[in-house]
Amino acid sequence: MREQVKNLKYIFRPKSIAIIGASGTPTKVGAVVLKNLMEGMFGGKIYPINPKHKKLAGLRCYPSVLDVKGKIDCAIIAIPAKFVPEVLEQCGKKRIKGVVVLSGGFAEVGNVELENQLKKIADKNDAAVIGPNCLGILNPYKRVDSIFLPMYKLKRPRPGGISFVTQSGATGTCIVDLAAQFGVGVSKFISYGNGTVIDESDLLEYLESDKKTEEILLYIEGTKNGKRLLETMKRVNRKKPIVVLKAGRGKKAAEAAYSHTGNLAGNYLAYDAAFRQAKVVVADSLDELFEFVKIFNQALPKGNRIGVVTNGGGLGVLTTDVIEEKNLELAEFSPETIRKLKRIIPAYANAMNPLDVIADADSGVYKNALDVIKEAREVDIVVVIVLFQAPAVDERILNILVNISDEKKKPVVVIAVGGEYTEGHRKILESYGVPTYSSPSDAIKAVKKLVDYAKWTGQKR
Amino acid sequence: MTMIDDFKYLKKHGFELLPYALAKNEKEAVEAAKKIGYPLVLKVVSPEITHKTDIGGVIVGIKNKKALVAAYNEIVSNARGKRVDGILVQKKARKGIELIIGGKKDVQFGYVVVLGLGGIYVEVFRDISARICPITEEDIAEMVMELKSHPILLGMRGKKAIHMVSLEKLLLNACRFMQKEDIAEIDLNPVIFNERGYDIVDVRFKRAKS
Repeated sequence: MREQVKNLKYIFRPKSIAIIGASGTPTKVGAVVLKNLMEGMFGGKIYPINPKHKKLAGLRCYPSVLDVKGKIDCAIIAIPAKFVPEVLEQCGKKRIKGVVVLSGGFAEVGNVELENQLKKIADKNDAAVIGPNCLGILNPYKRVDSIFLPMYKLKRPRPGGISFVTQSGATGTCIVDLAAQFGVGVSKFISYGNGTVIDESDLLEYLESDKKTEEILLYIEGTKNGKRLLETMKRVNRKKPIVVLKAGRGKKAAEAAYSHTGNLAGNYLAYDAAFRQAKVVVADSLDELFEFVKIFNQALPKGNRIGVVTNGGGLGVLTTDVIEEKNLELAEFSPETIRKLKRIIPAYANAMNPLDVIADADSGVYKNALDVIKEAREVDIVVVIVLFQAPAVDERILNILVNISDEKKKPVVVIAVGGEYTEGHRKILESYGVPTYSSPSDAIKAVKKLVDYAKWTGQKR
Repeated sequence: MTMIDDFKYLKKHGFELLPYALAKNEKEAVEAAKKIGYPLVLKVVSPEITHKTDIGGVIVGIKNKKALVAAYNEIVSNARGKRVDGILVQKKARKGIELIIGGKKDVQFGYVVVLGLGGIYVEVFRDISARICPITEEDIAEMVMELKSHPILLGMRGKKAIHMVSLEKLLLNACRFMQKEDIAEIDLNPVIFNERGYDIVDVRFKRAKS
């Protein structure tokens, strides 16, 4: 890892942050960032920088970083683009090794020269620079937050194991908001914008050795160095699963053009090839990005045989359909499993897979059935369908599901189809890290991704 | 470069081509046919004609000398008014499954190699798979399995599987060729595969810097 990438630690775990362009005007980026850091309970020192003020939000405000006596680990820059190089030079003098440039107005609007200048200064000082033209970063563990969107408009996710790497700020916003909404735990969130100094491969490399990161979610629109991205993905994905969404694909168009002219058109084909070679998990939409990533906190399955427990027969059939369609297997219960099940399920229920515990099953029946199925040797993955609408199902089922999911011996996936009441329960399960889906197809699609990934890592090791 | 130059260039870089010869007149065509053996295909060689079939510049399934002479004269007359460098006399390809093997230099990822189903339904099925060069044998196995039509390649309904070792060699060679010669685009289309091997029917390529 080159020094500049290592220096990302000053951005993710700073003891002190300077906000260059801090402001008292509530709608200004520099004001929102300052407010968010303070209200977000960032534990380190905060230095507002703005020559026009003596004090901001009750803190002493400095004309420049050079006027600050103490050490500064990270600078967040929110000033017009043309002033950025000069300020970056000052950061260099102050030996600030981590910088986030929120400001836009660089190569994305044609100011290539200004962006080159930024890179030169950063390289000279060995500074890790995120951006420009980005939302910056979020580290819920250290309460570091450079996102310039007010907290009441954009919720912040809880600490967890998923790191998000996104090129686009707008998509990044949605990801953060949805992660908070779904209760998805986040290790690091990085919107890297133009990726001038630190690009997506650098970030993957950093996260590869980041102890708090277990899975990586990558949203890219393009890369400047595909070869390196392929090599980095290949290596990192082995240790930590990468789920990727590539925007601007035009895959159909590329294929159509290829078969039409006999020539390869559009480069999604190249991206697609690279993703397949790196064996990363490819999502086709923002929804899938979340659907897929959340299953990877589960244990990796040893095979593709699924055991299904349901209190609704129809949903069991629908789930079976998708299992077949995705070339997964419905586990065949062994005589031993059947014998055990017969002792606990109602006499009028069949001890076969999918196991329909019947609509009047209470949480206790679920628990007993799940205890048998999760231990069954012929089952690699446990899928639990819960019709929360059924009268006998009560809150206790949530505990039961969280507990078996926490065992992390076999992947456990929950399907809960329904409206408001069901959604509330889904959210609770999600917040405890139980991958919960609102339809059989969403769930089984994710299971398929997990099975494929497990098969690949199993082969290689 | 003319078609013949292209052929020589490809041969030099390890592509196995169907036996061929360039005939400048009827007599040369007959001589070439003796060496190559029937059945044959005749193709007009002209820098001014891109779509040879459209002007009647290709005649296939020539089984004897009489048909050869007739075909030769027909092509010459069809190409009247254009510059003609000669007529290509080529062994007819064996029967089998039509595949496309292609490649392109991508700005971000470098050389990309593509395997696809060829033939007249290619636009309907759009059945292709791609990898970034260099590729491994494992990549090739996956490329085959990614094709929706892979059961056809692996043999079905009493038909034998195509010669996988040749396919492997051809794909590896396509990658090597692109990397070594800095090829912007290449299309071997179609390549006819059967259980014994393959025949490359047509080739087009472009170097990145020329």
